[in-house]
Amino acid sequence: MEPIVKLTEITKIYESKVMKRALNRLSFTAMKGEFVAIMGPSGSGKTTLLNMISTTDLPTYGKIQIDGIDPEKLKKNELALFRRRHLGFVFQDIHLLDMLTAEENIVLPLTLDGLPVSEMEKRVANLASKLELQEILTKRPDELSGGQAQRTAIGRALIHQPKIVLADEPTGNLDSKSAKDVLELLSEINEVARTTIIMVTHDPIAASYCDRVLFIKDGEFFNEIYKDERRQTFYQRILNVLSLLGGHHDVSTVRLS
Amino acid sequence: MTFRQFAYRNVVRNRRVYAAFFMASVFSVMVFFLYSMLLFHPTVEDRFIREFAVFGMGIAEIILYIFTVFFLFYSMRAFLQARSKEFGILLHLGMEKRQLNRLIFLETMFIGAASIGVGTTLGYIFSKFFFMIVREIVLLPALPLYLSWEPFALTIGAFLSLFIIISLVAPVFIKSGKVIDLIRGENEEQQEYTYSKFRGFLGVFLLLFSYTLAMFTSNTIVIRLFILLPPIVLLGTYYFFTDSVPLFYQKLRTFRKIYWKNYRLISISSGIIRLRENANMFFIVTIVSTIAFLSVGTLASLTSFASQYRAMNPLGLVYVSDMENVEEEKHITQLETELTEEEIGYSLTKLQVLQQHSSFSNSTVSILNVADVNRLAADLDDLAIELKQGEALFLPPSNSSFENLNERFVVTDLEESNVTVAIDGAYPYQLFPAYSVGRNAIVLNAVDYQRVQLSMVNRSPSYFNYYAFHIPEWQSTKDIGLSIQDTIVESFLIESNAGLSYAFDNPGLSYSIIRMTFSLLLFIGLLLAGVFFLATGSFIYFQLYTTLDQDKKKFDVLRRLGLTEQEMKKIINRQLIPQFFFPWGVALLHSSFAFLSLQVIWDALAEISIVKELTIVLIGFTCMQLLYFYLIRWRYLVHIRATD
Repeated sequence: MEPIVKLTEITKIYESKVMKRALNRLSFTAMKGEFVAIMGPSGSGKTTLLNMISTTDLPTYGKIQIDGIDPEKLKKNELALFRRRHLGFVFQDIHLLDMLTAEENIVLPLTLDGLPVSEMEKRVANLASKLELQEILTKRPDELSGGQAQRTAIGRALIHQPKIVLADEPTGNLDSKSAKDVLELLSEINEVARTTIIMVTHDPIAASYCDRVLFIKDGEFFNEIYKDERRQTFYQRILNVLSLLGGHHDVSTVRLS
Repeated sequence: MTFRQFAYRNVVRNRRVYAAFFMASVFSVMVFFLYSMLLFHPTVEDRFIREFAVFGMGIAEIILYIFTVFFLFYSMRAFLQARSKEFGILLHLGMEKRQLNRLIFLETMFIGAASIGVGTTLGYIFSKFFFMIVREIVLLPALPLYLSWEPFALTIGAFLSLFIIISLVAPVFIKSGKVIDLIRGENEEQQEYTYSKFRGFLGVFLLLFSYTLAMFTSNTIVIRLFILLPPIVLLGTYYFFTDSVPLFYQKLRTFRKIYWKNYRLISISSGIIRLRENANMFFIVTIVSTIAFLSVGTLASLTSFASQYRAMNPLGLVYVSDMENVEEEKHITQLETELTEEEIGYSLTKLQVLQQHSSFSNSTVSILNVADVNRLAADLDDLAIELKQGEALFLPPSNSSFENLNERFVVTDLEESNVTVAIDGAYPYQLFPAYSVGRNAIVLNAVDYQRVQLSMVNRSPSYFNYYAFHIPEWQSTKDIGLSIQDTIVESFLIESNAGLSYAFDNPGLSYSIIRMTFSLLLFIGLLLAGVFFLATGSFIYFQLYTTLDQDKKKFDVLRRLGLTEQEMKKIINRQLIPQFFFPWGVALLHSSFAFLSLQVIWDALAEISIVKELTIVLIGFTCMQLLYFYLIRWRYLVHIRATD
């Protein structure tokens, strides 16, 4: 398998009144079609790392390669175009646009690229049946439940058939049932469409759905574990690493079925 | 840190937020103070001017005050809503509602006191300048700067009470919901905007209906329209913003070919949101701008009336004496003496205007001698006209009737004298003020004129003497013939129906009064329009500010999803342009149609065109609006781009 995301010795320093080293010589590689979770205590640099991968932030030192491009060499505009064509985003706060209906939210990335309406409608119909969104397409975000809203957001992240989907705590605001639905959905997408998914999470259950979990602490690499035959044991191993990692965790009390 | 210090720091550290509010308040305080300075000026002695100025300024002050009340209430509400998160935190930390009210009271009073202080100071600094302008306009002797407690007391009293009332009422605007809602900054439920199709169509229909009426109005119904139309337009405008426009947008949403294209998806849908939130504000801004346009436009058109006054009054002084007038000699001598004393050059032409009964029109016709007319024409640098015996010309009563009369050919008998003349066309020059010789007048060949004159010797003669003073420096005749003018005013006041056997017209004097009145009104109007203008701009700014946080979040998401900088700018343009120019464009449309009907009135009254003045006024407003738009867009973009 070839790597699709490759970060080499990334260092990010935020300089304001107080200087802060968010990432320190961190290297990270994700293979094509891999489902990776990034875990770590609050302030460990998870979100900074995700921002680097999503090209919205550039490292102070180090090299980044995402799907064959180097974000540092591209102009701001080209980066925006790259994001809208090749990356999909899922946020903790879901961030659907209030003024648009669910359907309009989903097609948003496509309209920006000026696709013909018939093509857009075809893709929405296709996705809607996959994500079970048919009934809620004409509803507005504030009429949706948390799970429905996140499924819509996933629809938005997938509509342009991106190579990489970046998820920042996608289950953070959901109840356990909806969280399970969303995670199963993500792993299904990963398996069927071979879409690379990189997910930042606090939740060991969410992480146990992945192929691999990367742990970082204070902006540095801490550990890395791969999934095994059973999710139950993988979950247990994640918990073990987390307890080694220390720091503060909202370890979920929900039992796995 | 005491509580007062806390309130003070809140204001000072939020100064960027408060800047527009502060500026608009300072400006209204300043203008109010300037008006008051003139209102209480001790050296304005001329009774008429004084009364007029006091009246004008008084009205302006009342309008300004009422407007400021609305303005402050509206801005205050926008502010407090924008700061609900901050208030939520304060309440969460255990601040009592009573203390919060006190905080708001103190903050408002700080701003109020500051704007009153700065406003009056600036006002006092500029009052000398203001007096100079007013003096130029009103043609008064110098207006010295004076220091008296009255204008200060009026301004400070008026605005202090205003700010106190507002700061007492303001806390009502804070939604007293749950603390948690305040902290989350959750605004009103984001529900679909409800509009009614019926009202939507009704709004458009009402507007179209009023426009049509205004466009095809005629002189006879225009006055009735002035009473009927404003309420219709008001209602139509309201429905237009609350229902018609959302209806239109919603329709647009169903056309996916148009709607699902590039960033239109975002700009159209957020356009709907903006409209929903701002329909009321758009309505207010539209009405305020319409009133501002209308007042300034009307006043400008009055000024245009003054500038065309000379063309309508080519003679310096006019004295008309009937047959039985015994004071004719005395008055003419008096006028000539006064003109000589004032060293004003003049030439006097006496025309005897005979009156006969015309067989053609079956009414009285005034008859002038072509020789007399030619003498007067020579004074006014117009060419002499030759008439053969039996020929005659119409003397048009006004400029506009020339075209019509010039094409007519009439043969008529002058019944009393049995003279037959062929009237062919009209006399081409405007020598007399409109209608001053009579509605029905003709110019006769000298021989014919004498025949008519001779025929009168036997019968009862019927004529009047028309004394035309040609005065090159016509504006300097303000003080000529005042005593004659007074006798006319007197007889008018006691309504002696016997009537005077003479008439006197001094265009120079009338002009100076008209000019002064209109210029003063225009000046007052422009100052008011300035306040309106600043305030409407600030409304928009506050409205933007209240939704700034939401907008910022929205654009952060969009940027992440791959929206380019240019696209963002375009979306923001499409959001801001309607906000700035939509209400304003509707106002422009409203006032244009209003002016169409106004032109009808002017046509009937004075035959002048107000198009030029209005175009200038409207272009001026457009330029200012553009400037304002760029200024505020710049600030907005800076805010949106700023990352915390």
